[in-house]
Amino acid sequence: MEQVTLSANMNKEDSTWEPKLLGFLCRWCSYAGADLAGTSRKKYPANIRVIRVPCSGRVDPLFILKALRLGFDGVLVSGCHPGDCHYQSGNYFARRRMAITKKFLEYMGINPKRVQVSWVSASEGAKFAEIVTEITQELKEIGPNRVFNDERQGNGTEATE
Amino acid sequence: MANKKINKKDVAGILDQWKQEFTLFVPSRDEGVVKWAKWDGADTTFMDWYRNTTIPSKAVFFPPMEEMFSFQKDGEGYHIELPASGEPKQLIFGIRPCDAKALAILDMTFSDAYEDPYYLARRKSGILIGLGCTNPCDSCFCTSLGSSPTDSANVDLMLTDIGSEFLVEAISDKGEELIAKTSAAQAATEADEVRAREEVKAAYGKVTRKIDTEDIKKKLPSSFEDKDYWEKIATKCISCGICTFLCPTCYCFDINDERIKSQGQRFRSWDSCAFCLYTKMPVENPREERWRRLRQKVCHKYEFYPMSFDVIACTGCGRCVRLCPVNWDITQTLANLPAQEQIKQEK
Amino acid sequence: MDPTEYLTMKDREMEQKLRSEAKALLEQGKVDCIIGFEDGSLKFTTTPLITGDKDDISRLVINPFIVNNLSVYLTESKGRVGIVTKGCDSRSIVSLIQDNKVAREDIVIIGVPCPGIIDLRKVEQLVGKDRDEIEGITREGDRVIITVDGNKKEFPTREVLFDNCLGCELPTPQECDILLGEPVLPASEEDKVASQEKINSLKDIAPEQRWEFWRNEFDRCLRCYACRSVCPACFCQRCFAEETEPQWLLPIPRGQDNLMFQVIRNIHVAGRCTDCGECERSCPVNIPLRSLAREMYEIVEELFHYKAGMDKEAPPLLAAYEAIDPEDFIR
Repeated sequence: MEQVTLSANMNKEDSTWEPKLLGFLCRWCSYAGADLAGTSRKKYPANIRVIRVPCSGRVDPLFILKALRLGFDGVLVSGCHPGDCHYQSGNYFARRRMAITKKFLEYMGINPKRVQVSWVSASEGAKFAEIVTEITQELKEIGPNRVFNDERQGNGTEATE
Repeated sequence: MANKKINKKDVAGILDQWKQEFTLFVPSRDEGVVKWAKWDGADTTFMDWYRNTTIPSKAVFFPPMEEMFSFQKDGEGYHIELPASGEPKQLIFGIRPCDAKALAILDMTFSDAYEDPYYLARRKSGILIGLGCTNPCDSCFCTSLGSSPTDSANVDLMLTDIGSEFLVEAISDKGEELIAKTSAAQAATEADEVRAREEVKAAYGKVTRKIDTEDIKKKLPSSFEDKDYWEKIATKCISCGICTFLCPTCYCFDINDERIKSQGQRFRSWDSCAFCLYTKMPVENPREERWRRLRQKVCHKYEFYPMSFDVIACTGCGRCVRLCPVNWDITQTLANLPAQEQIKQEK
Repeated sequence: MDPTEYLTMKDREMEQKLRSEAKALLEQGKVDCIIGFEDGSLKFTTTPLITGDKDDISRLVINPFIVNNLSVYLTESKGRVGIVTKGCDSRSIVSLIQDNKVAREDIVIIGVPCPGIIDLRKVEQLVGKDRDEIEGITREGDRVIITVDGNKKEFPTREVLFDNCLGCELPTPQECDILLGEPVLPASEEDKVASQEKINSLKDIAPEQRWEFWRNEFDRCLRCYACRSVCPACFCQRCFAEETEPQWLLPIPRGQDNLMFQVIRNIHVAGRCTDCGECERSCPVNIPLRSLAREMYEIVEELFHYKAGMDKEAPPLLAAYEAIDPEDFIR
């Protein structure tokens, strides 16, 4: 089981720290949208790592927790707009699931900005670039993910953001 | 060596003295859960409420999880590093005879075909200060298993509560050495000895739950074939791991690696034969059905383990009875074993 | 255990009715098996009785200690089953019907109008004695009389009920074939608020410290999986925690992994958890699991106006959607 190097030991003031964002993009809309951003030469930060899924409805909240556990600073789930899902209703299920997940994680003490959801269609290359830029900036502001810090220092080091 | 005694008021001072040499564990309560924790240096109120720990004493020597070694890729091979040797010289103050006997049973397992270095190192440098029970629970049944609430067989020093003092008996050389240099220990009087014997007798009588090991010995082997009996017993079991994890003599563990790029650690952690996946293999699972797992658990403790080690792998601590969410009671299961004549063959 | 110690007239009447109904069901071949409660092997404890033998029926009991959620046995039962069901249990059964795990025609629901189950941990704390040191616990309506060392002490019943019983929304099963007694009314607003005290006090903790709080609690977790085993909503053949390809979670009881397990478990049972409280009761290391389960329950209610186990025709929460589902959080 590979693990991403934890950025937990770095600080947001550290100029060398770059947040790591994991994106689950649906194959039919968001992934195509991201592709379009690339071919249109839209600039967006390279902090995002993409995992293509058939549909945003494929995303089990387990993946999001696992990503945070591995050390990603933020997770983005992106799918088709309601009504446009290639599988008719996958994104509707995702919408319910993500709503619950976000609220629950917020209750637990995880900064809600770490779990993001978006609708990006295949023609919205510019939107995709904009979203990634915004989220990356937000993550830079809230600092590294220390939620699942392996070493818990006794000196009161913050374990959450 | 003649018996000594220590005043309960002096316990804090004595623990303080012992703390210089040992890592001291005392009963402590965390959200109502009683377990062994390092002594905070001041609190001895546990003497007022302590009956037995929820988490068994095996957790001090065989913790729920521990690192076995770490590894680092090194050219073509791996460089292996053992963890820094854990807490040296652990002293458990107040271990009950059931838990102490359980440790003696675990000693046999962990030094059998292979000597487990992690467990044995801790045991060897550790020291057990036993405390006889004055208030056994209604779930206890140690007296049926060749032990008692005041059994001193498996500790280094045995304490008996005689009111405002504890009578102290040195059982092992280690114990003798320790009490000899404990300044607050005084010589015990004849009256103290008499009082101690009375307490021992009283405590024995307070254990009301009983099993008949002779009867079990006769019936258990043949009951293996009675599928109907075990199915009936197992219907209410929900296959969690509480009975096995909280059992002081259970010792099964699982080993897992965690790799982070080119380095990682190997851990071992408690495992349970009650879990369905315990015996799952690629081809089949010989204990897919719950009744098979329950049958195995009971037979392992009361039949198979004694075949190898001459002792029943159960000390009657009663934790499984007390803490099972569905009140599965091993003493009932053992009391109702079918006689050989009643058994229908397993199809 | 002497049943006269704690049985009210109502309990006794329900018990008689239960025994005759259950016997009739078996004799008439309407069910193959009865799932109910019998006296346990410890004081003030009951244990599930699962039997197809009508001679066992006389052991069935109704008393203030019938705490188990027996619907957990339905997912494995074969044939037709008659099941003793409190209000909360009936919701779990409805939830299972919604999930197609259990067919309505296969069960005969024997409803127990439940005035609340007594939490022995609370009793022990109130009198400062362990369960086996208490001589008697008798419930008389809104008072409970606890006998210790020959002395009787009286307490308001609401002080010794389980928290979720105190705030119970459905004490009498809606979905029911045989009702054993007069319906019990749901909890008052005042009691509902009181029942949430422990959970609400957690919300007073600042978000940053909440994670720390849960980390501390889950350091005690042993991964015995009792919470999962006792939950009727957790019926997966292979739990994600035991998956090895990929391995989401190491089975070692590390604080952060324990927490991850419980968080995901709660998300997976969202909309099916009826807050029966079994997870918290069965936890051997007293982790306040209901505080998580209840929070999810509240989130589901707030976001989707949905309560688990109330309508057997309704689709399960996460297997359905509405056009108007909230999406203000979506970019």
